[in-house]
Amino acid sequence: MKILVAVKRVPDTTVKLKLKPDGTGVVTDGVNFEVNPFDVIAVEEALRLKEKAGGGEVIVATIGSKDATQQLRHGLAMGADRGILVVNDDDNAIDADVVARTLKAVVAKEQPTLVLVGKQSPDGESNQVPQMLAEHLGWPQATFASKVVVAADKASAEVTREADGGLETLSVRLPAVISADLRLNEPRYASLPGIMKAKAKKIDEFTFESLGVAKAPKVTAVGFFAPPERKAGAVVASVEELVNKLKNEAKVLG
Amino acid sequence: MADVTFGWSEQHLMVRQALRQFMEKELKPIVWDLEDGKVLPYEFARKLANTFGLAELVRGMWARRKEKKAAGDREAAAGEIAAFRDPAMSALLVIEMCRYSPGAALAFGASLGLCGQTILSKGTDDQIERFAIPVLTAEKVGCWGLTEPEAGSDAFSMRTTARLDGDYYILNGSKTLITNAPYADTFVVYARMKSPTPDNAAREAIHAFILERGMPGLSTGQPFKKMGMHASPTGEIFLSDVRVPRANLLGGKEKDPSRDQAVGVLMGERTAMPSMCLGIVERLLDECVRYSKERKQFGRPIAEFQLVQQKIANLFVTREIIEMYVHKMIWMQQNGIKSMKEASAAKLYCGRATVEAGLDAVQVFGGAGYIRDAGVEMMVRDAKLFTIGGGTDEIQIGWIARELLKD
Ligand SMILES: Cc1cc2nc3c(=O)[nH]c(=O)nc-3n(C[C@H](O)[C@H](O)[C@H](O)COP(=O)(O)OP(=O)(O)OC[C@H]3O[C@@H](n4cnc5c(N)ncnc54)[C@H](O)[C@@H]3O)c2cc1C
Repeated sequence: MKILVAVKRVPDTTVKLKLKPDGTGVVTDGVNFEVNPFDVIAVEEALRLKEKAGGGEVIVATIGSKDATQQLRHGLAMGADRGILVVNDDDNAIDADVVARTLKAVVAKEQPTLVLVGKQSPDGESNQVPQMLAEHLGWPQATFASKVVVAADKASAEVTREADGGLETLSVRLPAVISADLRLNEPRYASLPGIMKAKAKKIDEFTFESLGVAKAPKVTAVGFFAPPERKAGAVVASVEELVNKLKNEAKVLG
Repeated sequence: MADVTFGWSEQHLMVRQALRQFMEKELKPIVWDLEDGKVLPYEFARKLANTFGLAELVRGMWARRKEKKAAGDREAAAGEIAAFRDPAMSALLVIEMCRYSPGAALAFGASLGLCGQTILSKGTDDQIERFAIPVLTAEKVGCWGLTEPEAGSDAFSMRTTARLDGDYYILNGSKTLITNAPYADTFVVYARMKSPTPDNAAREAIHAFILERGMPGLSTGQPFKKMGMHASPTGEIFLSDVRVPRANLLGGKEKDPSRDQAVGVLMGERTAMPSMCLGIVERLLDECVRYSKERKQFGRPIAEFQLVQQKIANLFVTREIIEMYVHKMIWMQQNGIKSMKEASAAKLYCGRATVEAGLDAVQVFGGAGYIRDAGVEMMVRDAKLFTIGGGTDEIQIGWIARELLKD
C-alpha cells in the first residue's frame, strides 16, 4: 500500500511567538521548528497501516524552505521510506489552495492509495488543505479521523471521525484523503537507529514550476497583530455590587 | 536549545531533539518519584533503551560482529564494536538526561557505561554475550566496584582478594559507595590476586571479576541516604568466600591484569563528566532566564537588576566553556587520544563550575530556589558529586601536576 503523508514545518508549539514589529508575520530567528504534531500522528498512522498491510511505501512530502528537510528527516527517522520537498521560500506567499494544488500534482506523480494529513497546523489553524485537496483530486475525504481501518481488498477504508456530539463512522472508497485528529494514535519516538537510517533515505526536490503549479494564492495575509492585553479584573465587596455591575456596567444581566 | 549549535551535525541535532522530547515525556514526570526513591531509575533506563532503539543498536552490533567473526574476518568484527561507540551520541544522551535528572543519568551511566562498556572492551566473547549485552540493552542492571571502605582516593591499595581454588576464584572483601550496587544483577569487582605460588608476581596484581547476584557469599547493603544524586542508588557490596568461576575473570587471562584498564575507566568517567555538567547548566540557565523575567520585585522583573543579570550572564559563560569541553572530549575519543591531564582538567573545571552555577541559580530564585519544587536546589546537590566521584578534585589536580612536571 502506497501512502503519501503531507507534513509541515511549524514553530515549536511550546514556545511563545513574537510578532515582527511591522506586522508582516512572526519572528522566526532563534525559534525551534518541529513537524506539525497532527502530521506526526498522520505519519504514525501511515506506518501502522503499511505494517498491517505487510508492505508498501510511506512517502512524506512537504512544501517549504530547504530547512524543511529537517522535518522530512523526522518523518524518515520515524520510518517513512522517502521524502519529497517542494521548495518554497516564502510561506506568506502561498495559501491553502496553492498547497492543495501542489499536493495534487505530487499525488499525480506518485499515485498513492491514500493521502494522510494532519487535520490542521498549529500556525495557520485554517483546517483547509485536506478538504481542498480531496476536492481538487475528486477523491472522497474523511476528516478528523480517530480510527482508520483499511479493508482487506484495499478498496475502501472505515474511518471513525470525531464530531461535536460524538463519533461518526464513514466508509470511504480508496483512494481517499484522510485527516488525522489528536486521538488517532500515540506516535512513536524517532529512534536512534531510525535517525541513522534516515540519513541515507532519498529526498526528491521539486519546484512549483517543475510540477506545473501556478503559485497564485487566492488569499494573502494582510497583517498580523497580537490580541489586546486583558485588563486587570476588579474585586467586588458584595453580591449586590457584583449583580449591579453585571447589570449596569457589563450589561450581561437583564 | 542554544541559538548557535556549535559542533553538532544535523543528525546530532535530530537525535537531541528526539531525546529532548523523550525526556520531557518520560523522565520529567517521574523526577520527584525518583528523587524520593518511590521508583527506581531502571524501568526508565529500559524504556529509553527500547523505545529509543539503543537496545536494537547493541543487538545489531553484536549479531554483525558474530557473523563477521564466523566468516573469519577478525578485523571487521573488531570494527563493529568500534563503530558502535559513538562518543557524540553518548554525550547527547547524557546531556538530555541530566537536564531533568542527573541521578537517573548517573545510574544509567554506571550500568551501561562503567559496567557494560568495561565488559564490552575487555571481556571475552563469551563474557560479552552473557554479561555485557544484557547490561547494554538495560535488561539487567550493572555496577562497577573499585572503591573500598579503606581504599578511596588510594583505590589500588584495595584489600579485596581473589584466590585460585581449582576452577574457581574465591573472593573476599567489601566495596562501598558503588552506584547501583543495591539493585545490580551484574557486578564488575576489582580484587588483588593472592596466589598459592607467591613467586608469581602477576598474581599479586589487580584483576577484575564479573559477579552475578545470587552467587553464595555475595550480598549488598541498603541504598545510602545521600546529599544528592537521590535518583541513583549507591551502596556496599560484601564478598565472603564468593566462588567465582574462572570463566568470569574479566578478559580471561591471569597474566593480563586490570589495573590499567581500571584507570582507563576512570579516565572515561572524567571524559563523560562535562556532558553531565552541560545538561545541568543548560537547564539552570533556561530556568533562570524564565524565572527572572516572571518574578517581579520593586515593581519590575528581577531580570532588570544588574546583580541578577550578572549571574545569568555568568551562567551562560559557564555553559559556553563546558560545551567546548564537551566537544574536546568527544574529539579526543573520536581520535583515540588518551591523555589523563586533559580529562582531569575537564572534569575539574566543569564539576566546580557547575556547583557554582547551581548556587548562583538558587540565588536568582531566592527563597523559591531553596524549595525543591523550583528544581534548582537538586541540581546543586547532584552536581556536588562531580567534585568527588571519579576521583576528587584534589586527585585531579595531582594528576594534572604530575603529568605536567614529569621529566
Ligand atoms: C554518589 C557516589 C557514587 C559513587 N559511585 C562509585 C562507583 O560506582 N564505583 C566506585 O568504584 N566508586 C564510586 N564512588 C566512590 C568515589 O569514587 C570515591 O568517593 C572517591 O574516589 C573518593 O574516595 P573517598 O570517598 O574514599 O575519599 P578519600 O579518599 O577518603 O578522600 C577524603 C579527602 O581527602 C583528600 N585526599 C585524599 N588523598 C589525597 C591526596 N593524595 N592529596 C590530597 N588530598 C587527598 C580527598 O581529595 C578528599 O578531600 C562513588 C561515590 C559517590 C559519593
